[in-house]
Amino acid sequence: MEIKFKLNGVETCVDVNPSMRLLDVIRDICHLTGTKEGCGEGECGACTVLVNDEPYNSCLTPIININNKEVITIEGFRETKAYRVIADAFAEMGGSQCGFCTPGMILASYAVLKKNPHPTEEEIRIALSGNLCRCTGYQAIVNAVLLASEKGIKL
Amino acid sequence: MIRHFVPASLEEALRIINKNNCYIMSGGTDLMVQKHVSTGLLPNFDRSVLYVMGLKELDYIKNESDGSVSIGATTRFVDIEKSELVPEIYKKVIREIASPNIRNMATMTGNIANASPAGDSIVPLVLNDAYVVLSSLNGERKVPVKDFVLGVRKTDRKNEEIITKIVLLPQNLKYFYRKVGSRKAESITKVSFLGAYRIENNIIKDFRVAFGSVSIKVVRNLEVENKYKNIKASELNIDEVIKDYSPLVTPITDQRSNKEYRHKVAMNLLRKFLEEIKGGQNE
Amino acid sequence: MLPKYNTSVKKVDNEEKMSGMAIFTGDIRMDDALFAIPVRSTISYGKILKINVPGLPKGYYFVSAKDIVKENVCNIIASDWPVFADKETHYKGETIGLIVGPDKKIAIDLATMVHAEYEEYEPVYEMKNSYVHKEFNKGNPGLFKNATKVFSESFETGYQEQIYLEPQGMLMWLEDKKIVIKASMQCPFYIKNAVVRTLGCKPEKVRVIQPAVGGAFGGKEHYPSLMAAQLATAIVKIKKPIKMIFDRKEDITFTTKRHPSKTEISAYMDKNDNIIGVKIHVGIDGGAYVGCSMVVLARALIACTNTYTFDNVAVTGDAYCTNKVPSAAFRGFGSPQSIYAMEMFINHLADFLHVKPLELRNKYLVKTGDITSTNGIFRDKIILKELMDKAMEMSDYKRKLEEYSKPGSYRGIGMSTFLHGCGFTGSGESTIINAQLRIKKDKNGIVTFYTSQVDFGQGNKTTLKRIVVDTLGIPEDHVIYDAPDTDETLSTGPTAASRTIIIVGGLAAKAAQHLKEIWKDGEEQEIVEPYVGPSYIKWDDDTMQGDAYPGYAWGVNIVEVSVDPITYEVTIEHCWSTYDVGHAIDERILIGQADGGLAQALGWAYLEKEVMENGVFKQKTLSDYVIPTMVDLPQMETAIIDNPFPYGAFGAKGAGELTFAGGAPAFCLAVEQAINRKIHKIPATPEYIMELIENGD
Repeated sequence: MEIKFKLNGVETCVDVNPSMRLLDVIRDICHLTGTKEGCGEGECGACTVLVNDEPYNSCLTPIININNKEVITIEGFRETKAYRVIADAFAEMGGSQCGFCTPGMILASYAVLKKNPHPTEEEIRIALSGNLCRCTGYQAIVNAVLLASEKGIKL
Repeated sequence: MIRHFVPASLEEALRIINKNNCYIMSGGTDLMVQKHVSTGLLPNFDRSVLYVMGLKELDYIKNESDGSVSIGATTRFVDIEKSELVPEIYKKVIREIASPNIRNMATMTGNIANASPAGDSIVPLVLNDAYVVLSSLNGERKVPVKDFVLGVRKTDRKNEEIITKIVLLPQNLKYFYRKVGSRKAESITKVSFLGAYRIENNIIKDFRVAFGSVSIKVVRNLEVENKYKNIKASELNIDEVIKDYSPLVTPITDQRSNKEYRHKVAMNLLRKFLEEIKGGQNE
Repeated sequence: MLPKYNTSVKKVDNEEKMSGMAIFTGDIRMDDALFAIPVRSTISYGKILKINVPGLPKGYYFVSAKDIVKENVCNIIASDWPVFADKETHYKGETIGLIVGPDKKIAIDLATMVHAEYEEYEPVYEMKNSYVHKEFNKGNPGLFKNATKVFSESFETGYQEQIYLEPQGMLMWLEDKKIVIKASMQCPFYIKNAVVRTLGCKPEKVRVIQPAVGGAFGGKEHYPSLMAAQLATAIVKIKKPIKMIFDRKEDITFTTKRHPSKTEISAYMDKNDNIIGVKIHVGIDGGAYVGCSMVVLARALIACTNTYTFDNVAVTGDAYCTNKVPSAAFRGFGSPQSIYAMEMFINHLADFLHVKPLELRNKYLVKTGDITSTNGIFRDKIILKELMDKAMEMSDYKRKLEEYSKPGSYRGIGMSTFLHGCGFTGSGESTIINAQLRIKKDKNGIVTFYTSQVDFGQGNKTTLKRIVVDTLGIPEDHVIYDAPDTDETLSTGPTAASRTIIIVGGLAAKAAQHLKEIWKDGEEQEIVEPYVGPSYIKWDDDTMQGDAYPGYAWGVNIVEVSVDPITYEVTIEHCWSTYDVGHAIDERILIGQADGGLAQALGWAYLEKEVMENGVFKQKTLSDYVIPTMVDLPQMETAIIDNPFPYGAFGAKGAGELTFAGGAPAFCLAVEQAINRKIHKIPATPEYIMELIENGD
């Protein structure tokens, strides 16, 4: 069936089975590969995208559930000022190593800051607990979000 | 033939499900895992699927005239977490379910319907005598959550029914909740405990205990609860209560924990709760 | 307070990784590639009598041992692991063939319809049949018989799964009669050599190119060689592009893990409680095939006295053959297992001798010039005492140690000291690897250099480039350094063994220095720089005698915990670390290794439980095999003390594996204090802690 949604600001219509995973639509149909698959069961958060500005695990989202919604992937988000602030903070603090969790982590970090512009370290850890990283031990990522918060993501 | 139905209204959904035996998909966070095959492939359903998340008429939280709070079936955990109408105990439980991402997607109704022994939100619903409303073309039926979940992935839902709402009844209780999982976040529960009580003039007027993840369904026993109502808090015999509950808690050993640990921790939590009741709670 | 990294430069791959532009194996679009789906054995041990393959639709193939071109051998050190199980299968999940075809769903369905008939043998799951044995002595173990006291203990460690965030994956196609491979990998030349060996083809017929790699930690050191040999067999038969990308469950269930271990230690004391010496046996579970287990065992044995010098040492070790998924490389390569045991042991021994652990440790702590367990010499300046003092100061260790010793505090603090030998064992760098680094300059003064080092997150792409830039003293954008392509680069060896900076970095600095010396403007110039090891390194692999490593890096971890007496859950409150990695070229990158290595070690210590039952892992998914989330880990503070190493680039030694070595013992010692019990195995799960509290140790 036809499903319409806005993808990175562009009206998009796909004609697919409603159970198709949003992740597969993004990667295989829209050919945007910045959204990663790390586990396929909602544990790792590498597939995080924003749906109406809230982070979703796209690996568990049947495409029908985003009908008429707005999806932002890293490809859309990287065009924003908020991305620049967060990405620079990640670079400054060493928040990205292998990079596989990073696009999802950056989108989730944005969602944290949007909800709570000045989070404590503990609040950051809780809010990002659904995004796994195996390289950094997380401290650098927490530091990056704190730094981005200090700079302000200028929403 | 397996079909995928996307109804535009509840009425249409009820007509569809009246004729078709369907999985009901809301947030998808359980079904999409269970039916997943591999990257790039569609989930593998052995029955038709009815997608209800688009039914805006089921996305609400509201006060009813009788003082109860109804939560529509497609209301997500994140919205329940934010709502001022929902009692704090539910929010406390929800905040420890899965991850923020999952709570943006998943519904409480789905958590009940999935009927996992580790389904965290079922515990407070059972303890607080909440019920679900099931709708079909023939009308509505109210079933207490305690009776609705029958076992592992088994519920009392009939093929032609849809859960349309959850109803929370007002309570005047003090709660003690602990979830013990495999790690501090994003964890599947090894054992959970929810106790509640109300003391008036040093008399235990209400006393409730529920355990999650230690049996095929949430353990709650009214007989034992009644035994400890209307006694003096100071006279509560902790060892006796533990003795009463010990045989009711019958956990298993699996890939996440073992039965000895689950049982022991369940009893430890119960003891902690009982000590709190005894420890000079006065009103 | 947020840290400031004054010595660091911008990581060269930051922007592509953060923006999602980095292309990982699974992101490469090749619409005509066929899917390869492994068909796996369903028994642990037995004879394969017959493989029944269903009728295959047009365009679908079954590839198996029958299709082997030259040798049914996967080129992983011991070369005992077949590409496809042929006459026998030795573990559940061993690949007996591949179904290859254009539709993934159909291929998966066909794979489940392939049915092998077996004659089952009795499988062995316990560590009892040794397939590699090693032993060596230091001093005179004959003196042990004079002991007036003996203290013995044994320690066990469990499996650990790497959980690189990007699962294993490989893409292979033909181009100008060449096999071209892109894969999630650590060692391009391992893959190339594996294909060359199984096909018996010329090396120039195989080209391996590295795309972005989403973590490895040792898990992509050897397993990709097996995948490559399998896909190469298929591509010779089918002659079409093929991809094999694992889902997480397949990756957890069937790829290599950290070796489980059992270490037994006895200390022999004279009448004054001086330690005459120690006897140590390390056993590791190698799984069905040796693969790299003899080298893992060697590293475990060499490290087994850790940071202590005992005059007399008797070391034995065995790698055991079991009918399980083969174990292989994982950060530390065997040494964390034996270091864990020694750190726990030395503390327990102190209790046995009624002395303070710190006192006993200090008495035997290695000093510059001491003889190593293999009768080599610790030549370089050792600053372990300084590292310990600094870490104790940062953590307020002594006060907390005192305070938490009160009964019922349910808090504890633990300290570990540890070392890591950098580079390949012994003279391996000059006898086996023989790294050669090519560097060239064009007429415009643009310098390009080539290595086979993979950056899977450690930051070596940035650091190696920086070494060349700084040595030449030219602008950064005048130096080109790309990911490895075996058609461009000579082998500078695998990305393993913490050798990248100490060995390849040193080589790059030397090559750049030579280029600088002969630099002529306006000319094309090229140098091939061969690795020459320090002349003092002498090593005999058969007797395990001599200098085991070119250099050692050192560290101290302190971990503070609290234990919930009701649920037996442990909360890690804080971690402090100090390291001597020679000179840290890029502090930010180094801290990344420090935090990340410690995080993995803590996961191994208490959270990451992987249990085998009847030859099958019980934890198959990321919800059952749990790694730490952001709330499971505490704040980490790290200090680096400069102690330049004469043979590394800019004084640098290795760091990647070092940071894994001390987390588990520091954690367990802290928990021991909190619960007043002794711990003898990891992971120290709440279930185990309950047992200890309830039943005693």
